[in-house]
Amino acid sequence: MLLAGGQGSRLYALTAKVAKPGMPFGGKYRIIDFPLSNCANSGIDTVGVLTQYQPLQLNRYVGSGQPWDLDTTDGGVYILPPYQSAGERGSWFSGTANAIYQNIDFIEMYDPDHVLILSGDHVYKMDYADMLRKHREAEAACTIAVIQVSMEEATRFGIMNVGEDGFINEFEEKPAHPKSDLASMGIYIFDWKKLRQALIEDENDPNSSKDFGKNIIPKMLAAGEKLLPYRFEGYWRDVGTITSLWDANMDMLSTTSLNLFDPQWPIRARSPIRPPHYVGESGRIIHSIVTEGCDVDGKVENSVLSHSVKVGAGAKVLYSVIMPGAVIEPGAVVEYAIVGENAHIGAGAHVGAEPDGSEGWGVATIGPEVRVGAGVAVPPSAMIYESSEVQS
Amino acid sequence: MDVHGIVYAYHSSAALGELTRTRTNASLPFAGRYRLIDFALSCLSNAGVRDVGVIMQRDFQSLLDHVAGGKAWDISRRRGGMRLLPPFGDNRGGDYAGTAEALNAVMGYLRDIPQDHIVLYPADVLCNLDLTAAIRQHLRSGCGITAVTTSCDPDVEHYRFVAGEDGLAKQLLFRQVGHGAGEAASEIYIARKDVLLQLLDRCEAANRFHFHTDCLAAYLADGGKIDLFQHEGFLKRIDSVADYYSASMAMLKPGPRGDLFPADRPVRTKERSDVSTYYGEQARVENSLIADGCYIEGSVKNSILFRGVRVAPGAVVENCILMQDTTVASDATMKYIIADKDVTVSEHELLAGSEKLPLVIPKRSKL
Repeated sequence: MLLAGGQGSRLYALTAKVAKPGMPFGGKYRIIDFPLSNCANSGIDTVGVLTQYQPLQLNRYVGSGQPWDLDTTDGGVYILPPYQSAGERGSWFSGTANAIYQNIDFIEMYDPDHVLILSGDHVYKMDYADMLRKHREAEAACTIAVIQVSMEEATRFGIMNVGEDGFINEFEEKPAHPKSDLASMGIYIFDWKKLRQALIEDENDPNSSKDFGKNIIPKMLAAGEKLLPYRFEGYWRDVGTITSLWDANMDMLSTTSLNLFDPQWPIRARSPIRPPHYVGESGRIIHSIVTEGCDVDGKVENSVLSHSVKVGAGAKVLYSVIMPGAVIEPGAVVEYAIVGENAHIGAGAHVGAEPDGSEGWGVATIGPEVRVGAGVAVPPSAMIYESSEVQS
Repeated sequence: MDVHGIVYAYHSSAALGELTRTRTNASLPFAGRYRLIDFALSCLSNAGVRDVGVIMQRDFQSLLDHVAGGKAWDISRRRGGMRLLPPFGDNRGGDYAGTAEALNAVMGYLRDIPQDHIVLYPADVLCNLDLTAAIRQHLRSGCGITAVTTSCDPDVEHYRFVAGEDGLAKQLLFRQVGHGAGEAASEIYIARKDVLLQLLDRCEAANRFHFHTDCLAAYLADGGKIDLFQHEGFLKRIDSVADYYSASMAMLKPGPRGDLFPADRPVRTKERSDVSTYYGEQARVENSLIADGCYIEGSVKNSILFRGVRVAPGAVVENCILMQDTTVASDATMKYIIADKDVTVSEHELLAGSEKLPLVIPKRSKL
């Protein structure tokens, strides 16, 4: 069960029209490609995708699930929006646990022994089958994937404290003084019967915020259930902020962070129908990734270009993330920036700036479909929602 | 849509040599990620023709692998859709001598076609035809046959149609070269089913095999009406290594590339899960067409790189076509090379053809 309803409000203009899992990432991909490909590679062939916030693009993208081989006859991928039932029942998902609660009937249709809960906004490669194996061996009620973080970062996560028996004995949500550095990755495998019971009980608790981290896990722990930590080592990033989104894209320029070229664990995507990209005589591309349908006549360095991006002659794209269909007109400079889908940067415009050590510096963001006028300068840290902000 | 598609995918040109040793022209890789047949299938699909028969005869393993059920072109349908047409039991022996023989070999299928009109499309014609407009003209004119024509290339031998004052074909000239009257036949036709079947029956009875010299010439002689639909823009029949190389290199020019890949008539192909292409610190790429999944650390100029090609640091690739998964090790140099799939070139290797005679390296060679 893939929770894909998150708004990603700290991505501002980029997620005004699309849920975070539907955001373009790493040239070829959208964030949701990572959990969907992980499922397919782990041999999981029935996946429910729970949507709520701005689902249209995401629904269209996931479609029949064919790019991930999730278009099987009995199973495959299902988009699960909130729905109404007779007698005024049914409502918007009020929390992660409530979203699963409202889809108990869906899960029951498949009568599973175990249910895997995922969030749709992380970039990583993980073998859920191995996690399930450990979960079964330990006969745990719930297995939680955890990753080691620094003690400073630990204050931002749900932290697991592990006892001598190897099971979790304490869970603290964003502790001020963390006792451990094992952070929850928001990936859970539950024994379905126990989860079902816990969801029903939690739903009847008026004081609950219907959240896995805040409610379900602490309650199971209090009830003495066996909660197993599953240690994950490897690349894992939450891309919930402009800085983390930009950082994670830059990570894709190195195969040591997340090797996307690995044939053993392919990350699949729904690809647009575009010809190969063309690099012109005046084009120059250094340490960057470029996708089909692009047309590059300018300079691209340390950047990530999604499909169908145009970079005009004399234009420069440096340390930037350019999303599908964006156009950088001749002579424009885009540096330390994220440019949204189909945005248009006018000739000679200048977006973003090099880091200067000042406190106000940050990555500049141009929202999808925004047109930046010719010659306009967009300062670092800017967040542009509308073309009217950048006309002259 | 009252139109059915028939694609000829059985032919292997001798002049394509090594490139068609184990495949037909139809499955020849082109422009970084396509096979020639993609252009025919996409053209039909874009015009709403969803029932398509593909005539094959031999060496079709690569073609089968590529087209599979036709899903990539949206022609995998519950009813109709794509049908692959290998030779039937009647043993004719040898290759089809002409398209009329190929069509007669699948006569059972043709007779059962429920539509009234049939598009005949050779898989090795490279263009992005506005078939919707051609069909509209064909239906409006009421002619039995509409020929898609293109401007003549004096260096290429082709059939030519000379138009009369009414715009219909007055004369069909066989195998013309050089400057002269008429428009070149693209060999793409739209025919009324009854007219086509009649012509084919006559060929079969007279033991004739050729669509142009036997069917069309006879049809014109009998007063049959052939309308002409002129295709503007890039069109090339791929029949030799020279054709293949020049058509490939034309894709580096914005004009022909735009003609073949217009935004409103996308060319579809079989998907491969590739990542975006990575350019290294030392990469130097200019005037080149690069597919996804490449890993480029060396220098690439005036070339076409298919999916999954690797060019190591210090390697130089100029005026080359490197097909899927070619690996060029460091400091190797390649000029005017057509490397078929999975070729491995080791360090410091020097390989060169010339513009007039590009060197073809067979599939899976290790050099």
